Amino acid sequence: MPNGTDHLLSDLRVLDLTRALAGPSCTRMLVEMGAEVIKVEPAPGGDMVRGISVFRNERSLYYVQQNRGKKSLCVNLRDPKGLALLTELIPHVDVVVENFKPGVIANMGLGYERLKELKSDIILCSISALGQSGPLSSKPGYDYIAQAYSGVTSMIGEADDAPYIPLVGLGDVSTGVHAALAIVSALRYRDRKGIGQHLDVALLDVYYHYHEANVETYSGSGGEIKPMRAGRHMTYACPCGVFRGNGGYLVIMALLHHWKDLCKALGKDELATHPDYINDAKRLERRDEIVKMIEDWLQTFPDVASAVEYLEQHQVPVAPVLSVEETVHHPHHRARGTVRTISDPIHGDFEVPGMPLKFSALPEPLPLVAPTLGQNNEEILTTYLGRSSEDVQKLREDGVLLEKNS
Amino acid sequence: MSQSPPHVLHGLRVLDLTRALAGPTCSRMLAEMGAEVIKVESAPRGDMVRNASTFRNNRSLYYVQHNRGKKSLCVNLRDPRGMALVASLVPKVDIVVENFKPGVMADMGLDYDRLKELKSDIILCSISAMGQTGPLSHKPGYDYIAQAYAGITSMIGEPDEAPYIPGVGLGDVSTGVHGALGVLAALRHRDQTGEGQHLDVALLDVYYHYHEVNVHQPKATNGKIKPKPAGRHMTYACPAGVFHATGGHVVIMAHLHHWKDLCKAIDRTDLIDHPDFETDNTRLKRRDTVTKILEDWLQAFPDVPSAVAHLEKFGVPVAPVLSVIETLDYPHHRERGTVRTINDRLHGDLDVPGFPIKFSSFPEELPLEAATLGQHNQEILTSYLGQTQDEVQQLREAGVLVEEER
Repeated sequence: MPNGTDHLLSDLRVLDLTRALAGPSCTRMLVEMGAEVIKVEPAPGGDMVRGISVFRNERSLYYVQQNRGKKSLCVNLRDPKGLALLTELIPHVDVVVENFKPGVIANMGLGYERLKELKSDIILCSISALGQSGPLSSKPGYDYIAQAYSGVTSMIGEADDAPYIPLVGLGDVSTGVHAALAIVSALRYRDRKGIGQHLDVALLDVYYHYHEANVETYSGSGGEIKPMRAGRHMTYACPCGVFRGNGGYLVIMALLHHWKDLCKALGKDELATHPDYINDAKRLERRDEIVKMIEDWLQTFPDVASAVEYLEQHQVPVAPVLSVEETVHHPHHRARGTVRTISDPIHGDFEVPGMPLKFSALPEPLPLVAPTLGQNNEEILTTYLGRSSEDVQKLREDGVLLEKNS
Repeated sequence: MSQSPPHVLHGLRVLDLTRALAGPTCSRMLAEMGAEVIKVESAPRGDMVRNASTFRNNRSLYYVQHNRGKKSLCVNLRDPRGMALVASLVPKVDIVVENFKPGVMADMGLDYDRLKELKSDIILCSISAMGQTGPLSHKPGYDYIAQAYAGITSMIGEPDEAPYIPGVGLGDVSTGVHGALGVLAALRHRDQTGEGQHLDVALLDVYYHYHEVNVHQPKATNGKIKPKPAGRHMTYACPAGVFHATGGHVVIMAHLHHWKDLCKAIDRTDLIDHPDFETDNTRLKRRDTVTKILEDWLQAFPDVPSAVAHLEKFGVPVAPVLSVIETLDYPHHRERGTVRTINDRLHGDLDVPGFPIKFSSFPEELPLEAATLGQHNQEILTSYLGQTQDEVQQLREAGVLVEEER
């Protein structure tokens, strides 16, 4: 029987061959919903992120955030005995997740065809930067590489200047979520049909998926509309974007019917029905003038918070541009668990983003802990592979298994 | 019997009360995987995006992109008979998805407790900007509002200037994907325990989920690290970011072990072991110098593709910053189906982003079409609710049902 925790996916067992961010985000989503995840870490260093970000007692918080609740099996993958252990584990799991460069898993002797021989209905989820197919698939991939190839980077910044990259793991984290969705869907199919499959999920495809209008407007307008970055404001609605307030910035979305509420808030009722400002298309023609009018008015408030409050009284969709530090203490974010404090046995308490799905049947998040390197070596080999403690000790001495206290 | 197409979610039936982008993305993901989705559109106009974006033959391409494969039931929700039709469909479905402002479903008499009375194991997925709970939950929400509250906007741009917003539907689309994952996980739980539930998925939580390091860093370093935007380059690796090249821009990720490959590519092997440039941390201290060396070197190439080709020969992770237009006919994107051409009965051919999950058991995408307004009124009322054609005709005449060819 799997010994995942009691939650939505508690009957599910996953062999996790991922490292870095996109792959581990996928298995983290599964583990937060109760799946049992066996994370294979290559000896001697384990997942490369054990060596990055902020440390305390040699414990990487980056590792902790992405790997809570997983079991660590640290094996020398260059030793045939180590690889043989993985092969032996396949029949015990439902799903294998990997994010090696395309082709590597086949070179390791664990390609989909081989996995199917080991377990006929196995689901293999392959996560990569540019995909398992196509001319770019062999390229080394990082989040921003896929973002650049997707055209998303080209949509951030001023039209006549170099684009910006957002300093958040948009592509990696969200590719992990797409992959988790693919897995749970494939499981439903397996349960009904007895058929497993190979899933191919790529950062490029996920980033591309975000183009809610850019692709269809270009194509549908016969090339007349050319999507391009346009600074701090939307290109198909106005006023919509980032505005300078006193001591900070606001996002104001006064498109469509919100325009008349904004006019009231500004004390400019006459603009609500003025033909030059009557719809978003007209207002787009006067965007610079409208932005100036709003920003001048915002300067009459002592700070961003008072301007936000005033606009809210008039039902204008508005938000302060919060810094990350401000979000960590925001009462709404705390109340919802958008941000949460987790406790790590080695590091102590610290904040990470919350589990973004809230389930009424299981309202409490699971109390997950990130493993130390190889923490579950003995448990996994004795429980699933029927090895004795002496066998495990021998593998340790041969350098096939490794354990560390961080 | 279900009329859903053969794919991984064949047999699943969804009542879709969503409009705009985040909610329709959730039900679109389900439709693309074979679920039968009944989209309830409010008479007389239907989903507000039928009036947005690019048109041909009165047909909104925005609507087409986000609603292919769904059945349209267009009812007057202000008429009690219309509301009764919606309520009578609840026992026929597995899942209800909605993205009204929190509280509106209850006002309509369709909150979770009422849905449970209509079908005891119903799964209700509520999608919103700021969530069903917490002090901000009642605020009107748009993508960029949630993005600002999540601290994401604050991480894009120069530290001493107003931040930028990305010109893509990041938050909406990926909240839809998170919603679909929540639905599938809850469905698995329902099949095993007979228990339904209410899911609460918010753009705020999804955006926040993208902070791979920003949230854990400030407190763990006792405030030493304050996440803030840093222009076009990463803050914890170097060189990693956007660089000026002749006639365009490239993303180069030459951190970690890639630095030595970059030094070889630019013929500066003296910098590989140079103590000032040896590690990411020492390079970060000299980021401007490193950037200048690279950008000067890039100017020696006639264009972006030749610089990319040279760097690739040396194994340096690199990408051209493609415009959206360049992505449309990029051979890799076409071969993988990252971008796809779909055919719309009223509009003809158009390009949209591909389905971001590739299933080996269903390598061909479903041939989905977007419905005209109320296209499936009669089908749904006769096959699920046992009404006669005469009854349907009466409801039409009474203005409870609306149909339009657009």
